[in-house]
Amino acid sequence: MLENFHSPFDATVVSLLSASGAEIVGKTNCDEFGMGCVKDSSLGTDTGGSVRLPASYCGIIGLKPSYGIISRWGIVSFADSLDCVGVLARDVSTTKRVHDIIGVYDSRDPTAAPPHIRQKARQLIEDHLETLKGDSLAGLRVGVPQEYFPTELQPSIVTPVRTILDQLRARGATIVPISLPSTPYALSAYYVISSAEASSNLARYDGIEYGMRVEPPPGANLTKTANVYAYTRSQGFGKEVQRRMLLGTYALSADAFENYFLQAQRVRKLVKADFDRVFCIPNALNAPSTGPVKPVEGVHVLIHPSAIQTAPALPDNEGCSQEDDTSTLDAYVQDVMTVPASLAGLPALNVPAGKGADGWPIGVSVVGQWGSDDLVLRVGEVIERCREDL
Amino acid sequence: MLAYGRTRLLTRCNHWARHAHSVRTAKQDSRWPGWELVIGIEVHAQIKSRRKLFSESHSSDLTTPPNTHVVPFDAAFPGTLPRLNPKCVELGVRTAIALNAEVQTRSAFDRKHYFYADLPSGYQITQQYAPIARNGRLDLDKDGISVRIKQVQLEQDTGKSTSLPRNRITAIDLNRAGMGLMEIVSEPDMRSPEEAGNYVRTLQALLRSVGSNDGNMEQGSLRCDVNVSVNRVGEPPGTRCEIKNLNSVKFMMVAITCEALRQVALLERGIPVAQETRGFNEERAETYSLRSKEGAPDYRYMPDPNIPPLLIDSTYVNAIRSRMPDLPDATRARLRELGLSRRDVEVLMDVDSGREVGFDGELGRGAVAYFDEVARGRDPKTVVNWITHELLGQLAFRNETFKENPMSIEQMGELVDLVQAGKVTGTSGKTILRHILSTRTTDLPSEIADDLKLATSDDDGALLEKWCREAIAALPQQAEAVRQGNLNVVNKVMGHVMKASRGTAKAQDVRTMLLKLLQ
Repeated sequence: MLENFHSPFDATVVSLLSASGAEIVGKTNCDEFGMGCVKDSSLGTDTGGSVRLPASYCGIIGLKPSYGIISRWGIVSFADSLDCVGVLARDVSTTKRVHDIIGVYDSRDPTAAPPHIRQKARQLIEDHLETLKGDSLAGLRVGVPQEYFPTELQPSIVTPVRTILDQLRARGATIVPISLPSTPYALSAYYVISSAEASSNLARYDGIEYGMRVEPPPGANLTKTANVYAYTRSQGFGKEVQRRMLLGTYALSADAFENYFLQAQRVRKLVKADFDRVFCIPNALNAPSTGPVKPVEGVHVLIHPSAIQTAPALPDNEGCSQEDDTSTLDAYVQDVMTVPASLAGLPALNVPAGKGADGWPIGVSVVGQWGSDDLVLRVGEVIERCREDL
Repeated sequence: MLAYGRTRLLTRCNHWARHAHSVRTAKQDSRWPGWELVIGIEVHAQIKSRRKLFSESHSSDLTTPPNTHVVPFDAAFPGTLPRLNPKCVELGVRTAIALNAEVQTRSAFDRKHYFYADLPSGYQITQQYAPIARNGRLDLDKDGISVRIKQVQLEQDTGKSTSLPRNRITAIDLNRAGMGLMEIVSEPDMRSPEEAGNYVRTLQALLRSVGSNDGNMEQGSLRCDVNVSVNRVGEPPGTRCEIKNLNSVKFMMVAITCEALRQVALLERGIPVAQETRGFNEERAETYSLRSKEGAPDYRYMPDPNIPPLLIDSTYVNAIRSRMPDLPDATRARLRELGLSRRDVEVLMDVDSGREVGFDGELGRGAVAYFDEVARGRDPKTVVNWITHELLGQLAFRNETFKENPMSIEQMGELVDLVQAGKVTGTSGKTILRHILSTRTTDLPSEIADDLKLATSDDDGALLEKWCREAIAALPQQAEAVRQGNLNVVNKVMGHVMKASRGTAKAQDVRTMLLKLLQ
């Protein structure tokens, strides 16, 4: 759709990286709406896991920062309320370096967290956690959500995750089993919300102002504007994008709005509330609570497997042409571990955790309260070193 | 003002819930005896802001070349994001205050989706679920009624598309795309085309007075959609039809009349009125069906995920309230209190309503402001006479509007002072005023009086006596008649004196002097 399109302006993240001396070497090919990359690290958008899942499958670091920390100005929107610019890199320190450069307030992004909110989040973390020194994790409480070990999870993934938890405990962390009861509903809510927003955001690709245009054939019925657009949109969008737009359009229709879109928004609230309940650090985005201080059993970060499996094989030629519903659904289930953090706007970091039974990489995710990107990276760094010690 | 947060409360609200069919007693209307007409109006008023609602593009007028006031956001380029213009919010709040509406502590923006070439993003950003203000009212003094305002919402205007059938193409101009609009929705409280016309005119004057809209219907900066239904007196309201896009008060009133007659004719033949959206053909003076209720598009409203809720606290509203310009009713009352006649007030207000409306709420200086400045420290009644009779009269004579008035406040003020102090006569004052209008000089009236030798002589009457003696000598017959007691003839002699003095002599003084000399 945007094959020959050149944007008249730079994304804020690209300007920031260039200004800091980074060399932008090229743009990677993502499926249909993707982003650019820098040597040693690359940027990508993560709406429901598109940075963390590939990172898990490839055995590298993948960070989805807190929503609103990195400017979305210049990023092609898929689902505005979920889209985050994420960082992919070989190690945590590179990831942190890039995150520090691009994680600044930008007034051109109306959803950017303003400086006082960022400051408030920093303060809340300091209030609830003594600075971690060296490799010691003394005082850190790590939650392990039971819902993140579903039946779909490959059994060979459990052992490496357990190993990492053991090593964190050995360094002084307290491991706490916790529950996020709304997790099973998160995936459906995610697909309704992201598809609804995508159907809205992709309405602009109509072949008028920019991008690809398919002229209607002679004699075509042009009485309605939509009829003219249909030629461009039918040819310009791929099957999967079309599928999501149809789903999203339906979810917003007058008959379905209440049962789909609004219901999904309610689930999203429940998912957020789940996270706010288990973290001891309050959410800086919520109105200041005047109630009692959080109970001490709250945790600082969560750790869970990043994906239910190692990298899935590409479908063979037959499977590809068939486009059957089962394979599509299987693909959607891949996101089951990553979408809750997306719905709640929380920072989530994939760190390599070893190899699965098939010899391919697996990863664990570190998830923190909103604004605790640095803490998540800090814990990720320790996990990285634990792995080196093995 | 903008909150950072993403929680939203959503309720689907019926845009046109007709709860309280108000309790006015039906008036017989000879056009449709036995029937009652019910009218509600949605006004789309373009916000008079310098920049667009969500982008830094400047606003345009009819002279702006097409597609020159467009930034990537206006053309829905990927990667662009909206940024709410606080000036538009301010003007929306001013309007809400002027309409006695409740400014909402929390309002939010939604996307209304449809495909049209003048809507580049495929959706219009509006306030479907949580408008900026609710529950206002507009009093129509002339009709003695109060029209309830259901809500005021902020939204984007579209671009303009022009069909060129010969080339089978449609030309798109995005200059207007993304300009801010206020949609002002009334309750169905009007009962005749005349009340509807009065409502729009009163609203127009109100918006102009607060500077939120220039009221220019011909140029499309104020447009009306009208909901019309009829019912037999005493029965519940009938099925309504909406007439879209009416661009003048006159045509709106004609359209309502036509539509009422159409609906009454249908019902009298036993045919129910179908709920539909209709257009109005001005030449044929009839409404026509655009689409039925079943054909209504599903706009797939969705809260805009890019725009945080708009939080407005009472401090902000109070600050705006304290800087609010006078509303027309208040201005009228204030001027009457200064002792101005009803007629003078209406003349001033009428001229004032034609004043330029500045951008971003800067108030244009109209006839009332001019009067206020000149009247500072002067007698209001004298000042208003000079303005309404002399200045406006001469401007009208010259085919000029008040906007073109070259006479400064200082010039007018000094002129009034000179005449009041007897330094020039009223006649000379008018000469000076005409001189200023025709030469557009910036000289003060005192300087002009010197240049034109119009100052009354202050030589203890020596010059006056000289002119009078000359006149008596020049008109011996008339002088004799006066001496015989025929006082009517004195006017003739006075005319001679006035001519000689070139109007600088005061008539009363001349008369006294002549009578003294002719005793």
